[in-house]
Amino acid sequence: MNEDELSLRNITYASIVQLGRAPTAAEIAALSGHSPAEVSAAWQGLHAEHALVLNQVTGQIIMANPFSAVPTAYHVQAAGKWWYGNCAWDAFGICAALQTDGRIETSCQDCGEALLIAVRDQRPDDQSLLFHCLVPAAYWWDDIVFT
Amino acid sequence: MNLFRSEEHIERWLAGRRPGATIPVEKLSELAHAWWSDRLSPSWQPHSRDENQAILERLGLTAAFWRLPNP
Repeated sequence: MNEDELSLRNITYASIVQLGRAPTAAEIAALSGHSPAEVSAAWQGLHAEHALVLNQVTGQIIMANPFSAVPTAYHVQAAGKWWYGNCAWDAFGICAALQTDGRIETSCQDCGEALLIAVRDQRPDDQSLLFHCLVPAAYWWDDIVFT
Repeated sequence: MNLFRSEEHIERWLAGRRPGATIPVEKLSELAHAWWSDRLSPSWQPHSRDENQAILERLGLTAAFWRLPNP
């Protein structure tokens, strides 16, 4: 990751927190003084390094882990906004990244029962739940959307 | 990477597929905080593979399942 990519990555993440959604390349270009094409090229580099995940057709951000730019089954309230996490790990990761308490709304993937979890001081209030990771760590990035 | 009410629910959801790894939600929260807490820092630097593996190991996730790929 070169200095330009790192700088644009940090501006992109700060923008996600400010906007409550993924920014466009034009928005980051306006904030950074780069052209939209330069931002898009940097994002492609970050995608290759697993620092962002882009829609390869549109070039738009779909994941800036732990944040998801598209609706998912993991809805998180934290720091005065609602967010989507890419998975259960990322749902807790949103509270971690924002360094705040939060509330996770999801459901049991088997039976569909609603699961409402308050995260306070980095701990979930319902400690009866289980997290299952299907894909071994060695293969997470083979298909990160499936993982 | 999903949440379930119990082992029974995981087994039913797997429907015969080979299981992955299961950890308590409290451990997941610890993992998430160790993994993501620096993500919005202005001085953030990419974690190396070894740094990420060390996070997993500190939390007792030492089985082969949790072994990250070498770059």
